[in-house]
Amino acid sequence: MEYQKPTINKVDFRLASKYGSPLKEQRIKGEIDGVPVKELVEKFGSPLFVFSQRELEEKYREYKTAFSSRYPNVQFWWSYKTNYLDAICKIFHKLGSKAEVVSEFEYQKARRLGVEGRDIIFNGPYKPKHILRQALQEGAMIHIDHFYEINDIEDVARELGLKEVGVAIRCNMNTGVYPQWSRFGFNIENGEAYEAVKRLYKGGILKLVGLHAHIGTFMLSSSAYRVEVEKLMRLKNWSENQFGVEVEYIDIGGGFASRNRLKGVYQPPEVIVPSPDEYAEAVTGAIYDNYQGKLPKLYLETGRALVDEAGYLLTSVFATKRLPDGKKGYVVDAGVNLLYTAFWYNFELFLDKRYEGLNEPSQVNGPLCMNIDVIAENVMLPPLERGTIMTIWPVGAYNYPQSMQFIQYRPRVVLIDTNGTPHLSREADDLNYVVEKEVVPDYLK
Amino acid sequence: MNFLSLFRGKEGSWKYLFRPYIHLFFLRDFRAGILLFVLSFLYPSVGIGGLVALISTFIFAKFIGMREEWLGEGFYLYNSLLVGMGVGFTYQTTPLTIGITILLAILTFLTTFGIRKIFFTYGLPILSVPFSVVSMIFGLASYRYLGLAENLKQGSIWEIPISPQSPFYPIWATYFAPFFKSLGTIIFLPSPTAGLVIGLIILLYSRILFMLALGGFWVGVLFHSLFVPFGLALTSAFNFNFILVAMAVGGIFLVPHWKNYLWAIVAVMIAVILSDGVGRFLTLFGLPVYTIPFNMVVILIALLFSAIGYHLYNWTPKETPEESLNYFLSNLYRFGGREIKIGLPFLGKWSVYQGFNGKWTHQGKWRYAYDFVIKKNGKTYRNDGTQLGDYYAFGEPVVAPISGQVVAVRGELPDNFIGEVDRVNNWGNFVIIYSPLGFWVEISHLMQNSILVKVGDYVEEGQIIAKCGNSGYSPEPHIHIQVQESGYLGSGTLPFTFKEYIKGEELIYYSLPEEGEEIEAPVLDRFAQLRFTFILDDVYRYRVVKGKNEGEIVEFKVKMNPRGEFYFEDGERNRLYFHQIGRLFYFYDYRGGEGYLKELFKLAPRVPLIHREVTFRDILPISIRYRGWQIGVMEFLLSFNPSLFKEEKRYKLTHWGLESEGGRVKFSMSHKGFDLIEGEEFQLERIFNDG
Repeated sequence: MEYQKPTINKVDFRLASKYGSPLKEQRIKGEIDGVPVKELVEKFGSPLFVFSQRELEEKYREYKTAFSSRYPNVQFWWSYKTNYLDAICKIFHKLGSKAEVVSEFEYQKARRLGVEGRDIIFNGPYKPKHILRQALQEGAMIHIDHFYEINDIEDVARELGLKEVGVAIRCNMNTGVYPQWSRFGFNIENGEAYEAVKRLYKGGILKLVGLHAHIGTFMLSSSAYRVEVEKLMRLKNWSENQFGVEVEYIDIGGGFASRNRLKGVYQPPEVIVPSPDEYAEAVTGAIYDNYQGKLPKLYLETGRALVDEAGYLLTSVFATKRLPDGKKGYVVDAGVNLLYTAFWYNFELFLDKRYEGLNEPSQVNGPLCMNIDVIAENVMLPPLERGTIMTIWPVGAYNYPQSMQFIQYRPRVVLIDTNGTPHLSREADDLNYVVEKEVVPDYLK
Repeated sequence: MNFLSLFRGKEGSWKYLFRPYIHLFFLRDFRAGILLFVLSFLYPSVGIGGLVALISTFIFAKFIGMREEWLGEGFYLYNSLLVGMGVGFTYQTTPLTIGITILLAILTFLTTFGIRKIFFTYGLPILSVPFSVVSMIFGLASYRYLGLAENLKQGSIWEIPISPQSPFYPIWATYFAPFFKSLGTIIFLPSPTAGLVIGLIILLYSRILFMLALGGFWVGVLFHSLFVPFGLALTSAFNFNFILVAMAVGGIFLVPHWKNYLWAIVAVMIAVILSDGVGRFLTLFGLPVYTIPFNMVVILIALLFSAIGYHLYNWTPKETPEESLNYFLSNLYRFGGREIKIGLPFLGKWSVYQGFNGKWTHQGKWRYAYDFVIKKNGKTYRNDGTQLGDYYAFGEPVVAPISGQVVAVRGELPDNFIGEVDRVNNWGNFVIIYSPLGFWVEISHLMQNSILVKVGDYVEEGQIIAKCGNSGYSPEPHIHIQVQESGYLGSGTLPFTFKEYIKGEELIYYSLPEEGEEIEAPVLDRFAQLRFTFILDDVYRYRVVKGKNEGEIVEFKVKMNPRGEFYFEDGERNRLYFHQIGRLFYFYDYRGGEGYLKELFKLAPRVPLIHREVTFRDILPISIRYRGWQIGVMEFLLSFNPSLFKEEKRYKLTHWGLESEGGRVKFSMSHKGFDLIEGEEFQLERIFNDG
């Protein structure tokens, strides 16, 4: 390497210790579940999404135990949008999760994986009649989002000659957290949800069997769930008294946080992210404190908290440069087209091995020819060479389903099974795949 | 009859009138009291004297408006009874002696009340001190009352006619008659016949007590005969003291145990010296020793052994020594004895890093402490372990190990970087909780600013109070917990056990995990708790689908006694006592003969209120394990070899019920209680009122 201009960095001795200060520190991750990252990259290429089945199962069990040790009837519904890679969905279904989908596409994907209609919860604000028809025929549980949908379901039910259809309604409410998710379902505080229940029974076909709410994402407060459950239980008790039915379940949605660093939050995740037990204590405690008659089933659509920490993105350093402000700049082969959530989270960056030299302020940029393609704006890294493998973590939630072919092809996805064997779970894009659906109008040919 | 109702207690029972008689022999069943009451009329003046004293005491107490609770404290009545019988023993029944008896009964009541005030302050038993005091005073006074002398008594008691020529006579006269006579002397019936009846009553209720009585007598006599001629020792009028001392020390104040039998022997030998010493003094005034040697020895021993917290002291005397022993062993082996018990300070699975007398910091005054970390694949951290966030324990919730009040908190100290420790503030961030049971629990090294409670707050066991951190003298994130003698930081520690923890697939009660062991904290399943909260007067009906009387319907009704103890009662008045506390429902006592409730105890002696498949061990009390006469034999042997009690039985808790070698029970999922009770030879199926 040729001569490089020297730079001056402030070294904070206050934080120094014999084990290294955050400045001198290097974060190393040489392997995932026993498989060296180098080997993974050599075998499957770079960049590479890697999922750990062991971590996935561990997390699932942790949550499952936290809830079912406190409550008799708990069912997890795998939230497809969080990660609908077939392999991932299969693992969750094997573990006992059913499917929660929010669109025609997701519904069809679940059906394709062999999930029965009755094992699917159908959420979402946009359910055209044709897919409603299929869902109703196959016995899926529909969570109604708005009054139009009530009409639609009644129409379809009449068409199909169904006398009684069990449905759930989606509710939104103020749980004391900001921002309040108010655009899905019926509001509880202004009485809309209560009106919706009345409207259901007026129609004479629909029957309320469940209540659902999704209060937000990356919820750092377990007490918000306590408020949510209290409000749902109140609505449940009211509906039961009013219409003499049994509301079989309450579905508290998802939103449990993972150990990710939300941008703009000063404290690290281990300090602010509640544990599964804290969430479970709040949710089940609120049911026990508010139930009348029979205890309802408890449904959870936990997505992020189960899969986020099981996902890694391996990327390789392609080039380095000195930015004008003195920062070190790195070009890596994974960009924000694969890391949609990079806009909200500061991921952890691990190096494949220890590197010589002091840490210095660095910026990690992706391969896109776009100014926004920044993976990490300001991190402390030692001087890295071309070919250094960085592990970006946690990226298991939302990144894969939201990744897109933009400028670069999407990479392969690998799943490491519980024995430590990596398996290819998705092939990388190629030109044929990308252009397959394109049609050149005749006059341009 | 309004007058008669005076002698019946609150519950309209005559037991208060008859119980004092049997109290004199440390038993409680008033039916045996009736027998002794009748027996006392062998010497009519003794019987009348006793009865007059008792009735006077009742009337006096009523007249001054004493609340009926005093009746529960037996010593008011039996002291009066003794004084009255004493008068009847010395004098004939005449209007004058009856008048004196009434007066002395009142004096006894006053004396008892006075002594009680003083003795209770120091936790001393009353025994028959009031009787000794009043009798002594009256004995002295009577020497001046020449008019009374006319009423002195002559005559003798009817005895079993055993001809001196009979071959049994020498054995009876030498070995048995003196003992029984002494036994009778306790209630002023110095007659082998009366003693024999009393002996049989004692034997019927308690073999241990009878053995102690007999053994105490002979130890006393033989020891005494080292100093005086055997004949004199054998016939001494005060030998009954030895009987009382042996029974009180070996069977009542101390747990019936062979070690305590040795103490009883020592106590009897001391009583021998005391009898002669006190006797020598009292003879100067022409007085007998009454029960003074007994009172002195027993009070002193009870005082010392209770003050030092002797582990075999009988803190909860029951109806008989056998029951006391059963209760003691049940408590020891089934419920961890009198140790301090706390819950785990965490949720989920943690490993013991350091236990009691740990090699690093759990030393000296602070040796009773535990450190916990989380390990996965043998390591306490993920990645390279250079950052706090790498440690699995860091940030995990810490829960209150007991219910109590927060008395001290510190929360602002920073969490050390890995490899650094804070040598100034050793304990780091901490919470100290006071238990109403009289101890303090301290939890250390909590995360900076993570503590959710403040001084003065009441916390419930299991409530999340903070997060695990790395403040203070802590090389890596962990939870430190200790039980303290006081609420000050750094005060001396006390030994304790954990109420329960899961190791592998086994639920272990009242134990301490080893260093390096991974244990899991059980979580209360409130659903199970609801299903095992039984409500008064609830009826559980079952159909016998297999076994004797097939097709028969049996009913268990939930009832409560005045002490607030809940039990199931079946049609034959068999009672199965149960309790629910924390994460545990359990049966602890059974009264009655053979029956389905007894079988239920065997099949489900305890139900952990957790939603987790585990095995656990429990021990069934002797009265549940055996039947009929075997129970008596086993209970007697138990005092010589308590480990006979410790026959562990293994149970498997599933989500649906309990399984064991002898059968299974199925929990009701939509109702309370059990849906199915199945033993080796029978099967009960729940039937519901609605069909």
